[in-house]
Amino acid sequence: MSEILAILVFPGGLFLLAGGMMYEWADRKLIARLQNRVGPRWFQPLADVVKLLVKEEVIPSGVSTFLFVVLPIVALAGALTSALYVPLAGLAPTFSFSGDLIVALYLLSLLTLCTGLAGSNTTDSFSLVGATRTLTQLFSYEAPFLVALLGPAIAAGSWQISEVNAYAQSHWMAFLQPVGFVVALIGLLGKLELPPFDSPEAETEIVAGAMTEYSGRGLALFYLGRKVELMVGLTLVASFYLGGLNNPLEFVLKTLVLLLGMSVLQSLMARLRIDQVVGLWWRYGALLVLGQWLVLMLIGGFTS
Amino acid sequence: MIDEKREKFIIPIGPQHPALKEPGHFEFTVDGEIVTAASVRLGYAHRGIEKATESRNWTQNMYLLERICGICSHIHALAYCLGVEKLAGVSAPPRAQAIRVIVAELERIHSHLMWLGVAAHEAGFDTLFMYSWRDREALMDVLESLTGNRVNYSANLIGGVKFDISTDQRDTILRALETLEERSKHYLSIVTSDMVFLRRTRGIGTTSAAQAEKIGLVGPTARASGVARDVRVDAPYAAYVDFPVKLVLHTVGDLESRFVVRINELFESYRLIREILDHMPEGEITARIPRRIKEGETISRVEAPRGELFYFIKSNGSDMPERIKVRTPTMCNMASVPVLGIGQQLADIPMILAGIDPCFSCNDRTTVIHQGEDGDVWTWERLRQHGIDFYRGQP
Repeated sequence: MSEILAILVFPGGLFLLAGGMMYEWADRKLIARLQNRVGPRWFQPLADVVKLLVKEEVIPSGVSTFLFVVLPIVALAGALTSALYVPLAGLAPTFSFSGDLIVALYLLSLLTLCTGLAGSNTTDSFSLVGATRTLTQLFSYEAPFLVALLGPAIAAGSWQISEVNAYAQSHWMAFLQPVGFVVALIGLLGKLELPPFDSPEAETEIVAGAMTEYSGRGLALFYLGRKVELMVGLTLVASFYLGGLNNPLEFVLKTLVLLLGMSVLQSLMARLRIDQVVGLWWRYGALLVLGQWLVLMLIGGFTS
Repeated sequence: MIDEKREKFIIPIGPQHPALKEPGHFEFTVDGEIVTAASVRLGYAHRGIEKATESRNWTQNMYLLERICGICSHIHALAYCLGVEKLAGVSAPPRAQAIRVIVAELERIHSHLMWLGVAAHEAGFDTLFMYSWRDREALMDVLESLTGNRVNYSANLIGGVKFDISTDQRDTILRALETLEERSKHYLSIVTSDMVFLRRTRGIGTTSAAQAEKIGLVGPTARASGVARDVRVDAPYAAYVDFPVKLVLHTVGDLESRFVVRINELFESYRLIREILDHMPEGEITARIPRRIKEGETISRVEAPRGELFYFIKSNGSDMPERIKVRTPTMCNMASVPVLGIGQQLADIPMILAGIDPCFSCNDRTTVIHQGEDGDVWTWERLRQHGIDFYRGQP
């Protein structure tokens, strides 16, 4: 019974959806204020989702209807499931086992993968270019992001999220592994396709990228998945790098600080081209974080 | 996905597309992310204004022609008024000419600031977009307080201007210019030093001076490539004769230099407006003009914010023109888009397009509805009958 409740209401299901919307609103509002705009009201993300759900879903010709309908569901399910392994709201994760970090990270990537597949499923040229860019970007940020999150895990000596979280409470990883922190933060921007990594959905070039042909329910599900992923990603990075999360107040404060940092980055920069994104990640991101890893290994080797 | 060898993969941009604020159609053939061929089709916003001028009198036409462009409305009316005045053998008094130039330069500032925002938005740099448009509001308020309107200012009369500039208004303008100059300096430092933004502008869409001459670029787009071409300098009109303009040039020709040229032109406009306000000629602001304009034809050229604006005006001695031909700067600059686009990344195309500061509805003087070999010239009667039948729904 309690497990069903955990999946449907808290920390899964309703809580995640509502939380995701609030984080998205905070993100939009912060960027708007940084850009000298007024920004949306607090219920705007909910209104957007409700509006999309009410709208007719157009299934374009020339697509596999099964994939077209199923992909958004899989994407949202992946994002929701990943939330069960992270210390949401500063409470202990619902499910926890050794190595759940890798599972959670790959569940988070499912959304991007589904977006890419959804784009390549249609025959529209904007979608195809968008899908190519989405998948290209996935291959460029995924490895550095993973390595950046493994940094604290190695320091903690465990690949279990709850144990890393407990270890981080006595070690502020943002100061011990600053490179990893920056890479993880920027990697989160890439994962969520936020500026400056929004070339997969650059509206001035390819309209909405892989999402161009989606409308109504499918689009709403993808958007919800994105919102949930924002919340889960923030939780993960905050618990690993910002001194762990062990109560709801800490959770809200630390994730909001992270979100503020992300909003500033988003409004500071112009959009990078896809070739520049790949270059940035492999030339700097991956090398820096691997360099830091090496240093950690060496220090670990000498001290132990 | 794509049969690379045989099938061409075409990205259509327009007539409806988020990158375009006005309708135009571009087809870019891409190989991966690289553009290999490009074509342009215009004519979606053809409004038949040239024909409409032939059934309106000289004064009415001023209002019609001012509405060719929403951004550079004053300069259209100015080109028209200067042409008609030349035909009538009258010239507006010096104070009127000075006020015309002040409004024209204010319009240039407003147009360039707007372009800065749009171009930044095409590069995904929305913060610069929002900031430059916020600062532009100061100028819109000045224009509104001077003329009563934010866009179609309607400042001109044939033979003069409609309003004088009082001392109070002079102070308002100077105050606004001070703020804007401060902000423009900031923007200049952003577009020349922001590392991420420079990666999107430096070395992209580079046009050499020879290429610019060959394509026939005009305005800031040509000046960014080192082509010294500015009607205000080459053939001064109105008050530019007494208050000369310094030509702003940049030699690199890439997108960055287009930003630099336009922002430096802002400083030149600020300087010019201040100089004119300090040495305003005294006297009348209107001259008497006959209702019927003497028979003859003339050419009137002015420098619009986007480049050379060309008017051909022919009068048959009545109170209506016989023929008015307009060529806007976008028409000249548009040819550079398919030429420069080839070999560039798809992501840079919106920037290259925005780099010429396109204004589609201004440049649409004609529309092609059928492309084919069989040429067929219709008489005016047949065209009229076709129109009547078409709208009755019985061809």
